[in-house]
Amino acid sequence: MHTWRQRIRPEQIRELSLIGLIVIALLIFGWQIENFLSARTFNRITSSVAIVGMVAIGQTLVVLTRNIDLSVGSIVGFTAYFVGSQLAANPGLPPVAAIVLAVLTGGALGLVNGLIVAYGRVPAIITTLGTLAIYRMLLINYANARTITVDSLPSWVVELSRQTLFAIGDFAVRPLFAITIAAMVVFQFVLAYTVFGRRLYAIGSNPEAARFAGLPAQRTVLAAFVLCGMLAGMAGFLFLARFGNITAVAGQGIELESVAAVVVGGVNTFGGSGTVLGALLGAFLIDLLGQGLLRWLGISEFWRDALLGLLILLAVASDSVILGWLRRVWAAPALRAEVSNER
Amino acid sequence: MQVAPVLEMRDISRRFGSTQALAGVSLRLYPGEVHALLGENGAGKSTLIKIMTGVHQPDSGQILLDGRPVRIGSTLEAQRLGIAAIYQEPLMYPDLNVAENIFIAHAGRGPLVDWGKMYREAEAILNQLDVRLDVRQPARGLSVAAQQTVEIAKALSLQVRVLIMDEPTAALSAHEVEQLFAIVRRLRAQGVAILFISHRLEEVFDIADRITVFRDGRLISSAPRADVTVEQAIRDMAGRSVEQLFPRRHTVRDEVLVQVRDLGRQGAFHGVSFEVRAGEVLGFAGLVGARRTDVGLALFGIAPADHGTITIAGQTVRITNPRQAMRHGIAYVSEDRRGLGLSLPMSIAANITLPTLRRYLNPLGLLRRQTELATAEEFRRRLAIRAPSVEVEVGKLSGGNQQKVMLSKWLNTRPRLLILDEPTRGIDVGAKAEVHQMIDDLAAEGIAIILISSDLPEVLAMSDRVLVMREGRQMGIFTRHEATQERVLAAAMGQRDAVETARWAVSEG
Repeated sequence: MHTWRQRIRPEQIRELSLIGLIVIALLIFGWQIENFLSARTFNRITSSVAIVGMVAIGQTLVVLTRNIDLSVGSIVGFTAYFVGSQLAANPGLPPVAAIVLAVLTGGALGLVNGLIVAYGRVPAIITTLGTLAIYRMLLINYANARTITVDSLPSWVVELSRQTLFAIGDFAVRPLFAITIAAMVVFQFVLAYTVFGRRLYAIGSNPEAARFAGLPAQRTVLAAFVLCGMLAGMAGFLFLARFGNITAVAGQGIELESVAAVVVGGVNTFGGSGTVLGALLGAFLIDLLGQGLLRWLGISEFWRDALLGLLILLAVASDSVILGWLRRVWAAPALRAEVSNER
Repeated sequence: MQVAPVLEMRDISRRFGSTQALAGVSLRLYPGEVHALLGENGAGKSTLIKIMTGVHQPDSGQILLDGRPVRIGSTLEAQRLGIAAIYQEPLMYPDLNVAENIFIAHAGRGPLVDWGKMYREAEAILNQLDVRLDVRQPARGLSVAAQQTVEIAKALSLQVRVLIMDEPTAALSAHEVEQLFAIVRRLRAQGVAILFISHRLEEVFDIADRITVFRDGRLISSAPRADVTVEQAIRDMAGRSVEQLFPRRHTVRDEVLVQVRDLGRQGAFHGVSFEVRAGEVLGFAGLVGARRTDVGLALFGIAPADHGTITIAGQTVRITNPRQAMRHGIAYVSEDRRGLGLSLPMSIAANITLPTLRRYLNPLGLLRRQTELATAEEFRRRLAIRAPSVEVEVGKLSGGNQQKVMLSKWLNTRPRLLILDEPTRGIDVGAKAEVHQMIDDLAAEGIAIILISSDLPEVLAMSDRVLVMREGRQMGIFTRHEATQERVLAAAMGQRDAVETARWAVSEG
């Protein structure tokens, strides 16, 4: 007999409860704030989630292996500026080439992180804290106090953030958001149905057992960092398309936002469990709360960072408490089943 | 003259889950006496030490210090009562110097450190032990012997009255053992009561005034050294009750599957030679520190051998990582299920297919999850894994069922040689019997099995032949008929003639 308890696992409960929280937040804000449930709000949130979500997908891959990438903000900034300046210099560059350039640039920066972590055996938090500063310095040097402006970019880039791919009623889905959703679907699939995905979970949840099972741990961790860099590079391109005006501080703080999204999305910081769908929902919830509270309580932009910090702490604390509780509730009938099996 | 005991353990019992670790044990430690404690793995020695040092509380029984009942609630209280223990691997603060390590436990001396005074006192204590050691040297880089000396000095600085030494000589050279024994004799002369635990019989008979033997959590014998012979001590340690000898089928085939010659790894073991035939169970017996697991890890490529040859099915192979080992059909089921074996947050199915994921790819290179589940389901039935479904997280299962998942995982690699390292440690009796049945079945299928186990009756019951190791050396191989508890234990404790005796007995018979 299959009961609903057996069909749904605690991890999926995490995703369902995120959706529940998002719905509740939408209802409260919609009731309290005039014109909150509008196409404008939707557009604002999806544009922002497109960028943070893309980075959070990569961050998920890295966190699953029990590592972290703090340099993603700098990678986003560097790629956005680098690709922007190339496009400004060569307006004839085809869109596909621009995107490939962004992904490769990010991938190269991620490769450096991965090599140092996987083969140099430097803890990820130290490595990427170092490259966070170094990549930013590279950008500042490269930018040399110049700014990339919307006017210098080919029009198709800027159009990406304005076009409507398709619309549901008043709610328009922009290409930027669609790209991120597509990436999420791809990586959700990669995690569930590929050998690489399974290895990420295995290496994160028990590195020693992975070694005993003959898994190539170093290569897998390296690949996670390279992919994280590539996704951050892609996010850099989305950043360029969304804002058009790029300075040397572009993308600062995205590392915190992506870690927040991943953690709120239920990815275990000790590795081994979590999904990219969860991370994207986490990014969505965070942005929704930010936008909503901003307008409802009239809090300042600076509160947003504090809100992020608070959500991270709440998520991690509730993770151990709530998930532990959920597991017990789930385990109880399972144990009873076990006992009756034995009879 | 009648001397009163310093410490008396009276009728102490302690149970862990279904295991009775100590059952009504009484022991007296006298000042100026070295009291040796002998016993096989799991005889209850460690539990007794932990009760004496306040790590565990007894379920029943009394502890008397100077004739007065005391409660030892923590290691700190034990220290305050003058009871200290030193272990095989001393616990040092590597970045603090020798003097700081000696006085680390001293509280209530005021907030400021009087460095000059501390160095003088540390030197005085080391002098008292007749040891030359620079008290300003950091503990990092000290030899194990020197670290033990620091631990003894630390105990002395705390006015120790009962010193427990748990296998202190296991990591020492012969010369260092001599130095340690000189210190022990000096402490004895000062009136310290010493509880000395060692697997080296010659040392025990060299230093002890009294010898006590534990078995299955009970005190079997306790007598002055002069009244005990080596043979008698071994007999007392052995005689473990074997509730039910497993009726192994004879399944050994002619084909030699694995042949190992003179295998060794620097600093771990050397000179290990054996062969395993298809369908044979080769037991690995030995006491703690015999390095049996290291041989298993070398065969599996986790800690590769640096000496000797491994021949599998007639072909000499080099094994330097687990992938190579798996390619040659070797599987290793580790003793540490949680640490080395299983990914607890992952499902039963995902754990089972982890080493063999490539087998589950469809033409597009994607995992066929239905096939994975089918495999897992098959093992769940075959090994009677008790779980509501194969998608349940492994972390939720009981120890015995986790062990079965481990076995499934490695059986799924379709091994020719299966290395089982302590496959029944910490699982309940029922699950244990199932594992034994499984070993018999697997051997009947023609798999060669190496069974590493510290449970002597288990090794003897399950093995076709038994290889005995001691401190990284192979002491001998006994056939099922030769392998009695006494002989195996004597070999494991370094009584080499026991091996000869066995050979002789067989050629005579």
